[in-house]
Amino acid sequence: MGAGKRDSWASRIGIIMAVAGSAIGLGNFLRFPAKAAANGGGAFMIPYLVALLLLGLPLMWVEWTLGRYGGGFGHGTAPGIFHSLWRKNRFIKYFGVIGIFGPLVIFIYYAYIESWTLAYSFFSLTGRLSAVTDQQGMQSFLRGYQGLEANAFFTSIWPAYLFFVVTFFINFTVTWHGIKGGVERVCRIAVPVLFACALILMLRVLTLGTPDPAEPTWSISSGFGFLWNPDFSTLRSGKIWIEAAGQIFFTLSVGIGAILTYASYLSKGDDVTLSGLSATSMNETAEVILGASIIIPAAFVFFGPANVRSIAESGVFNLGFVTMPLILNQLVAPWFFGFLWFFLLFLAGVTSSVSLVQPAIAFLEDEFQIGRKKAVWIFGSFAFVLCHFPVFLLRHGVVDELDFWGGTFFLVVFATIEVILFAWVFGIHNAWDEMHRGADLRVPVIYKFIIKYVTPLFLLVILSVWLWQEWMPVILMENVSAENRPYVLGTRIVLALMLAALALAVKLAWRRRRARGEDAHAA
Amino acid sequence: MRPEGWCLLILFWGLILALAVFCFRRIFGKKEIR
Repeated sequence: MGAGKRDSWASRIGIIMAVAGSAIGLGNFLRFPAKAAANGGGAFMIPYLVALLLLGLPLMWVEWTLGRYGGGFGHGTAPGIFHSLWRKNRFIKYFGVIGIFGPLVIFIYYAYIESWTLAYSFFSLTGRLSAVTDQQGMQSFLRGYQGLEANAFFTSIWPAYLFFVVTFFINFTVTWHGIKGGVERVCRIAVPVLFACALILMLRVLTLGTPDPAEPTWSISSGFGFLWNPDFSTLRSGKIWIEAAGQIFFTLSVGIGAILTYASYLSKGDDVTLSGLSATSMNETAEVILGASIIIPAAFVFFGPANVRSIAESGVFNLGFVTMPLILNQLVAPWFFGFLWFFLLFLAGVTSSVSLVQPAIAFLEDEFQIGRKKAVWIFGSFAFVLCHFPVFLLRHGVVDELDFWGGTFFLVVFATIEVILFAWVFGIHNAWDEMHRGADLRVPVIYKFIIKYVTPLFLLVILSVWLWQEWMPVILMENVSAENRPYVLGTRIVLALMLAALALAVKLAWRRRRARGEDAHAA
Repeated sequence: MRPEGWCLLILFWGLILALAVFCFRRIFGKKEIR
């Protein structure tokens, strides 16, 4: 049961803020509006809502319930939780390795991207960013900062490295102080501040009016129209449904393993249904109301309808770090609004990244009886080394590769495994009773059917479509340049070794449990 | 913005805000955990 008593949450609001903080990330403010604009505008919201109801919400409840259930047996991560659900199966714990591997892989590159937001907050305050006035200049600024080229703005990667080290240190300082003293305390402050920053930016965008009298159609109302006017013909395309399902996955942080770990620190009688729904509602507020009302409408007003579509499709880095600073530079007090924007992204990032390191720390604590501080040192040292890959190999496609495996593929695989275990192995009646233990909200009974049949089927369809359309090109690296192939292959070898090492760690942990006589079924 | 755009915006903002208000009213009406 760990090195001592397991940590716990001090309040219900604390865990809701932490789960909402984990879910609210850069994707809420950059990925969602871009996806919506590129996929039928308001019509995108229909498959988005369907995916939320059939995929997002059920998985959210499944993860909260599984986490709390596993926590009751002293397990805060998927290997132990899966083993508690299906004790007769000696291999199921190895599938749980994905629930530690996935968040670790995401953290490796996410911490570096998060550090850019901290750096850009600083550059906004110092006025360095507002001195750049055109798109080419802003792109050079970003490329110089990332170390992709030496230019008038930056001559080396060392400023980026410094901000990365500071960001890494912040993450592990929060983690060092534990769930109650670190994560909960930070999220209770950071999440409301994040909402306040987003609200101020949204109100500023709403009051932009028609800033260029020469272009009377470039108004804020038309900007919202660009995002919300529906093109219902897009609903006939399967792509929009897959895109919406993908967005729901990314935005709610389901299928990662972080929510399992957070929920494992609940007590047996604590509610999970209302808390899970509340965290979801906070994430959706941040995404659909705040996230959709900032960057795309503002880009429309300043760049016009002809350019905004290509801006929306230019990728999230270009959107957040090139387009948005250019927009903010056209306002009064650009340093202030620039700071608000990047600090908002930094808070969204840090509340997500601290959740990504919890599964690995909890695994060391729960399964190897290592104290938290020692676990933070061990894992922190390991993660620090791994984080150097994206920092120094960004130009070689390492981040895209890590994002594909850790942030896309294994997310869907892990969610499929956990929902099948929950509804079919644990049994939907047991699962339903477990979900409603101490519940402050009765989930509509239709969700029994949805969790048992619809959600697994939905996930299997997503996986099948992916396998059908993209498996071979991805495996054969068809979309990777010849120059980058050795680096992408190297990344894959490192990831395979990490998976193998984690599986070995699970084997060792269970051997030790068996030696201690803790678990008669351990194998 | 076209009328159907306004309708969708109001519908989705309304749904999400109503859900958030429902959840937090219930939470603050209940005892804290532990």
